[in-house]
Amino acid sequence: MKNKIRESFDQIHATGQMKASTYSFLLQKIENGTSKKPHIARILVAACAFLFLCTSFGWRFWNTPISYLSVDINPSIEFTLNRFNYVIDAKGQNPDGEHIVKQLHLTGKKYLKAVELLVESDAMQKYLNNDATLTFTVASPEAEKLLKDLENSPVSNQYHGTCHSADMASAHAAHQCGMSIGKYQIYLYLSAYDPSITLEDCQSMTMHQLRSLLSRYESPNTNDYYSQPHHGGHHH
Amino acid sequence: MRSEQEAKRAIDLYSDMIRRICLLHLKNHADTEDVLQEVLLKYVLRSDVFENTEHEKAWFIRVTLNSCKDYLKSLFRHQTVPLDLLLEERPNISPEYLDVLEAVLSLQKNYRVVIYLHYYEGYTAKEIGKLLNKKENTIYSLLSRGREQLKQILGGDNIEK
Repeated sequence: MKNKIRESFDQIHATGQMKASTYSFLLQKIENGTSKKPHIARILVAACAFLFLCTSFGWRFWNTPISYLSVDINPSIEFTLNRFNYVIDAKGQNPDGEHIVKQLHLTGKKYLKAVELLVESDAMQKYLNNDATLTFTVASPEAEKLLKDLENSPVSNQYHGTCHSADMASAHAAHQCGMSIGKYQIYLYLSAYDPSITLEDCQSMTMHQLRSLLSRYESPNTNDYYSQPHHGGHHH
Repeated sequence: MRSEQEAKRAIDLYSDMIRRICLLHLKNHADTEDVLQEVLLKYVLRSDVFENTEHEKAWFIRVTLNSCKDYLKSLFRHQTVPLDLLLEERPNISPEYLDVLEAVLSLQKNYRVVIYLHYYEGYTAKEIGKLLNKKENTIYSLLSRGREQLKQILGGDNIEK
């Protein structure tokens, strides 16, 4: 058996392609003269940034909310982003969302990284069944850029996420109602068609249910929610 | 920083070993390639001299194991048993060895690493203890339990110590 284990692992080799790509990679690093100097420079920059943050001005500068990103399936989670698109707050907008956020460390991460961590977490994965609808809604002065990055992200592609934008007024109104921007936006469209629909109705429904309901009112050609004007949404 | 020749030498000497250690931890070729590049980059960036070849090899083993662990901890790496990697390797492996590889890879991570280091790389329990920063007795226990599980999976009483 000892020989068998040896002979079995002898079958495993790094492929020629792996070696070649590794060699090219290392060659590039050697030729670029990757050295400790930039590393020390990075440490100095990080130290200065940290000292800056320690001042109250720096802290306020870092923690000023600039953008909001809601991630809705049925759990609704909303990220508050600073001017550098780092997550400064992550909040569950319903009990399922609150439960998930408690289990993850999402603040301090770049927004795309936070989205990936959230969607790929075990807690969130169980909601991503066959008919689940993953929706990203962004309210931001740079919504176009954020939405484009989200659309192109592996997570959005893998789970067929749809991306929409909302204005800041809607974002603030959503917060006052205790609802994610994504769900609040759909509520606005739904309530325009059917005034009897309430915030509470929408809060308890999944995104799939909400979109199915909306599609009953909107024809494929008019699709107001799905084809917002230029400063608005993007659709997969 | 090391030279081009040193980089090439390290690739030729250690790529296969790094690949095998990755097989114990990772899921696919892409991840393996990432770890391979990361480990060899660390080697290239490291300027101090190794005492001897054994010292150098032990360094590679430790760094590869740590890189695999870091990789698994990083975002959305699911820590499943890496039998999937064998699917990619399957066409290149004779059937008689596939059973053994699958058996080893089905062991708990701690067992399969010590089994590999002992039976393939030829390290003693004491040496494995130094590599993995574990007590020698712990390694003996892991080896013993790993052997026991392999015996159950593969059958037979002839797994030598």
